Amino acid sequence: MLTTVIFRRLLLSIPTILGVATLAFVLGHLAPGDPAIAAMGLDMDGYTTIEPGELERVRRELGLDKPMLVQYGLWLGKALQGDFGRSFVTTELVAEMIFYALPSTVFLLLTTMVVASIVGIALGIISAVNQGKTGDYIARMIAIIGVSTPTFWFALVLILLFSFAIPIFPMNGSVIDHGPIAMVLPTLAIALHPAALIARMMRSSMLEVLSQDMVRTATAKGLSRQRVLLVHALRNAINPVLTVIGFQLANLMGGAVAVEYIFSIPGLGSLLIESIYEKDLLVMQGAVLVVGVAFAVTNLLVDILYLVVDPRIRL
Amino acid sequence: MSDLTRSDRPFEEKYKSSWSLAAESFRRFLILPLNQISFAITALLLFVALFAPWIAPFPFEQVNPSNGLDPPSWQHLMGTDQAGRDVFSRVLYGTQTSLLIGVVTVVCGMILGVFIGAVSGYFGGWVDEIVMRVVEVFMSVPGIILALALVSVLGPSLPSIILALSIRRITQFARVVRGSVLSVKSQDYITACHALGMNNLRIVFGHVLPNCLSPIIVLASVLLGNVILTESTLSFLGMGIQEPTPSWGTMIAKGNEFLTFAPWISLFPGGFLFLTMIAFNLLGDGVRDHLDPRGGSVL
Repeated sequence: MLTTVIFRRLLLSIPTILGVATLAFVLGHLAPGDPAIAAMGLDMDGYTTIEPGELERVRRELGLDKPMLVQYGLWLGKALQGDFGRSFVTTELVAEMIFYALPSTVFLLLTTMVVASIVGIALGIISAVNQGKTGDYIARMIAIIGVSTPTFWFALVLILLFSFAIPIFPMNGSVIDHGPIAMVLPTLAIALHPAALIARMMRSSMLEVLSQDMVRTATAKGLSRQRVLLVHALRNAINPVLTVIGFQLANLMGGAVAVEYIFSIPGLGSLLIESIYEKDLLVMQGAVLVVGVAFAVTNLLVDILYLVVDPRIRL
Repeated sequence: MSDLTRSDRPFEEKYKSSWSLAAESFRRFLILPLNQISFAITALLLFVALFAPWIAPFPFEQVNPSNGLDPPSWQHLMGTDQAGRDVFSRVLYGTQTSLLIGVVTVVCGMILGVFIGAVSGYFGGWVDEIVMRVVEVFMSVPGIILALALVSVLGPSLPSIILALSIRRITQFARVVRGSVLSVKSQDYITACHALGMNNLRIVFGHVLPNCLSPIIVLASVLLGNVILTESTLSFLGMGIQEPTPSWGTMIAKGNEFLTFAPWISLFPGGFLFLTMIAFNLLGDGVRDHLDPRGGSVL
């Protein structure tokens, strides 16, 4: 039964992934003017500086001399094999550029998610257990501040405080140059927002569970408060929080773009920003495709995890 | 029979009652202190945006290189930037930019999203399948990345920024409205509309959508802050509002270069953005709790 449901969900994700690929392809053709000139990182003013033969070569290489549908088919076929072409700005293979940028971003996002989950869940539990008391108000205040703080501005405030005023952490987020300590500020900057969202969800979910009879029964059985909270209540309250964590993993990339740029972390976000500044259309197309597919897959995994964790969903 | 139906009441009476209902609902909304705070800040921001030219002590583009990077003083409450422009005046004008983009984007997203969601939910079938797949595709790409990519290919102008930000809102509205329409269309009164021989257009716009108003208002209030934040991030990354038009994101980005010795250039616009976000998040929460007490946040 479970395998059938998972298989169905897998099938449903294929059109989404194909759709993301189509979106990336369309982006490459949205630029006003000749896509070949755009792919070479030039605007219409730069057009006159290219030799006509060179333009023809680029057109052939990108398959722009063929009908649009054939172009799409060829591009999709290559993209599925991991071939996103060669950047006309850096002359490197786009797939290689993405491959080298990916580990920094994945590492940053996973560290952030772990920190955000721990802080968010703890804050949510403290808030729910102390409902209406000072602890609750403080936790809720932190949560609303966390949700409202612009990530990129918070990153700058952290640099100002902990790289200049009290120079504890480096300004540069490169782990290779400064070691793991370089990850602290970027992680904190991105983690604030998801931690606050997780705390809000944890609080409301925990409050709902705490009012159920089974918690009263567990307490009546003489179990310690800690055991009732962390084993009985938490296990029942965690499911909606898992969904939020999954969705946040996908949304984190948005915050990561600005933070990678601020801390000069050589990740996918920085690559995307650079490709936009350099008008390197093929790299931008490749980065959007990889991010989109990665998040379609993340959402799929969250759904499957949810099916496994909560048998009620399968019904 | 005719005495019992709402639509047969005199025009004035009908509209008077719905206005007084709205006023009553608003009065109840303002009972909670948090709602009062968020409403007061939002009203203040709106006032600042509308009257920026009269409140701002200096024109936003007035440069004075001899006063460059002046710290906050009585003359320049938030200091000056590298070109000697008054940061306070630019922050006030920035409110105008942010609110304009926020409101226009949300309204565009709402009009198209509500229409698409209503058609998708009401008619179902292959239209619904296609719409939902497209929505899922747009939801798969993080909002800021989609907006960045779109603005970079279309060029950073006000219409392209609004277009780039609207696309995701359209999908968000479409998804929410579709869900509401699905639950409303199975109600008995909609079956009654069919039995009375009403056409689909009248049923959707006259009877289904008015009953989906709560989630639409809630989403609009939540998205307003969200759009302002995305616009600021875009501007911060150089793909949003361009100089000399004041935008909080651009101001923070410009100030980033002088962060160590003139932090006021970045900190004050950021603080204003933060305040705006708090106001809109609280407002969104308040509206959600007020209109849909069953679900959502309990913050």
